[in-house]
Amino acid sequence: MEIPLAATLARADRDYLGAFQAMATPCEVRVETDDAELARRVTGAVEAEARRIEAKFSRYRDDSIIGRINAAGGRRTAVDAETAHLLDFAGQCFDLSGGMFDITSGALRRAWRFDGSDRIPGATDIKALQKLVGWNRVSWRDCCLTLPAGMEIDLGGLAKEYAVDRALAVARAITAAPVLVNFGGDLVVSGPRTGGARWHVAIASVEKDDALAGMLELASGALATSGDARRFLLKDGVRYSHILNPRTGWPVQDAPRSVTVAALSCVEAGMVATLAMLQGKRAEKFLKREGARAWCIR
Amino acid sequence: MKPLRIIHGALIALVAAAACSSCTAVGPRPWEKDLMARPEMQLVPYPLQTAADEHVYFSKEASSGGRGFAGGGCGCN
Amino acid sequence: MQLKKRKAGRVGRAISAISATLLIATAASCENSAVAQDFYGLDKAGRDNFGPGIAYTEFDGALLIYQEAGGRVQAIEPTANLAIHGARGQQLTLGAVADAVSGATPNGAVPSDRTQTFVTPLKPQGSSTTVTSASGGSTVIQLPPTPGQVASAALGRQYTTAANTLPMDKGFRDHRAALTAGWSQPLGWISEIGGGGGFSREEDYQSITANVRAAKNFNSDNTTISLDLNGEFDSSFPFGGVPTGLSAMNAQFKPVTTRHKTQLGFVLGLTEVMTRNWLMALNYSYDSQKGYQTDPYRVISVVDPVSGEPTSTLYENRPERRKTQSLFWDNKLAFGPTVTELSYRYFTDDWGISSHTVEASERINLAKAWYVEPNVRFYHQNAANFYRAFLVSNAALPAFASSDTRLSRFDAITYGAKIGFRVSGRSELYVRADYYTQSGDGHPANAIGQLRRQDLFAGTKAAIVQVGYQWKFH
Repeated sequence: MEIPLAATLARADRDYLGAFQAMATPCEVRVETDDAELARRVTGAVEAEARRIEAKFSRYRDDSIIGRINAAGGRRTAVDAETAHLLDFAGQCFDLSGGMFDITSGALRRAWRFDGSDRIPGATDIKALQKLVGWNRVSWRDCCLTLPAGMEIDLGGLAKEYAVDRALAVARAITAAPVLVNFGGDLVVSGPRTGGARWHVAIASVEKDDALAGMLELASGALATSGDARRFLLKDGVRYSHILNPRTGWPVQDAPRSVTVAALSCVEAGMVATLAMLQGKRAEKFLKREGARAWCIR
Repeated sequence: MKPLRIIHGALIALVAAAACSSCTAVGPRPWEKDLMARPEMQLVPYPLQTAADEHVYFSKEASSGGRGFAGGGCGCN
Repeated sequence: MQLKKRKAGRVGRAISAISATLLIATAASCENSAVAQDFYGLDKAGRDNFGPGIAYTEFDGALLIYQEAGGRVQAIEPTANLAIHGARGQQLTLGAVADAVSGATPNGAVPSDRTQTFVTPLKPQGSSTTVTSASGGSTVIQLPPTPGQVASAALGRQYTTAANTLPMDKGFRDHRAALTAGWSQPLGWISEIGGGGGFSREEDYQSITANVRAAKNFNSDNTTISLDLNGEFDSSFPFGGVPTGLSAMNAQFKPVTTRHKTQLGFVLGLTEVMTRNWLMALNYSYDSQKGYQTDPYRVISVVDPVSGEPTSTLYENRPERRKTQSLFWDNKLAFGPTVTELSYRYFTDDWGISSHTVEASERINLAKAWYVEPNVRFYHQNAANFYRAFLVSNAALPAFASSDTRLSRFDAITYGAKIGFRVSGRSELYVRADYYTQSGDGHPANAIGQLRRQDLFAGTKAAIVQVGYQWKFH
């Protein structure tokens, strides 16, 4: 494996807990086993998969597929099958959300910097940047993607959840022992714990770093959270969430502070949570209508 | 519910073992089926086109069928 | 074990489905897809969200235009198919076909260096097949009175064929409508079980078909074995009644109005994914037909043994039993942006016919949403043992005889091309055009007298144009 691994492994109750830092977030994998060697192998495989996905889909790296697509300057970029599947998925989500979920909205971040400050960009800047946003302006056919010059894509809203699901798949290929993969609060479990017990998952508070907002029990499936706990702008008493509406170029108004969704996979949970946030004040209504198992914090 | 799950698990293990012991088996592994998933790789991707061909050849030649039923369902012969 | 799902809305359901598809598909392109498939409860990968495990509907519509050279048959055939796929592999298919055919068709008689006259029953007034002297090149004639003749049938239709011209009946016109329906689904250990039926009605023909099918997948779905059982029950009720085989052509209404044919058969199929790029199918088919298989309108000339001039015209006659077998081998190869299809069929029956068919097509996906697909087909068949271009007046009458070129020895070649355009991820429009030519022996060694100067092969040359549209939706 060419990617250096850095995970630590510790005994935690009935589990081995592997921990490492990737995708700018703390990552952990719990394996319910007494076999330290097995836990080490699972942790190693999970970390390798996380680093692989991070390296492949990071928009900050020139050598990543996203880096190459964004630097193509209007030329066609051929992509591999895995990227193609992710782009297909992103395109389907664009359609399903009526253009609200858009992996090309990254250009707007040149104006919006969510650092907790009060720097609100000017309307003309946003208007100019909006010409560079819209999945419908992109040509995505036959495994080749062509972005008009100046546009960029960002799978950041998708890659972490995808990495969680992929990490579980990697872990399940190694062991049948109960496994929980948690990358910065987006998590998935392989199934119930030994003896049918549920996993206990704490939901972190949006107000303070160490406080808990609640406890969840999970026997199977995934949880993902979308929220603006630490990424927001505050000006004149208006809190601008970091979730941007690509159709207006402005942050979504009156969005919940966080939405946590339970679903079969982390990708699914994350997408439902993101679409709920994009609904702003109608988030709860949307979640109810779509029958999602969800928790909103306002 | 639980015993059922165990049996299910045992079955999967059995099938997996069988698959591993027959490495000479014809065909790609499951993760090599990307090309087979393409719509145009179906045996009959355009049923109406195939039906039209078979209808024409049925009514102009003495042979029919092969791909499917040799009957014509019409008196065009 | 799984999350108890409340009744999800449209968006929630769709996200659930496309998420599962994403993870299965990417697992397939990374590794260990079996694990992911098991986990997400689906058993096949699909790149789009119309794959297995997802409920969707597919509509297919097409218009076929068929035109034979020399002012012969032309046909317009609109067709529509609806396939409703359930999330658990269930499939309901409904189909409808309409057909309007008109034009001239060779009646089976040989050309002569003299003008020939043919008589046939006059189709009833009010029928859409009524031929007037202006449009059909025929005239209504008064039949000579015969004892016991029904008054209304005392009229006949007469048409003439110029010297050195292939005799054709220009009064050929027909309409057809057909409906089909089918159902299939997995059941227990059987990967697919289903059945269906069809009904087709023409002005002088009716056909009822039924079929059942079972298939089983093995070897991580790389191998499929299938069995189809098919049955068909046809009724032929020609205008003017059913003529007696090898009796003289005449304008009288025949007392027998309807004859039937039954066909039973099976197809045993093996489909095998050979490699990542190669899909192969091998089918063996057997069919048994019993009943009326003669063409009631087709005649055969009896000629003078020296001059070769037609002396009389008889209705043709075919055996009532026919057993056919065929072996069909199909290959599809995917390399880069192309899909190649190569197939071969061997067909044989107990009428003495055997045939070879080779077909090849090459689909090339172009940039953007276009593709082109040139195709070619070669066909060769031997004659049926009762095929005769003509009968000779001084020879004994055989039990069966037909001069139908379709039962003769000939070669056929089809070449054509298709252009398709993906309108969106969900729909596609295509146009294709093919040209079909039969070539046979127009100057057989046994030709007599004036027949040596005639082209005795009445094969078809036809252009086929089809426009189609496929649309998938949830």
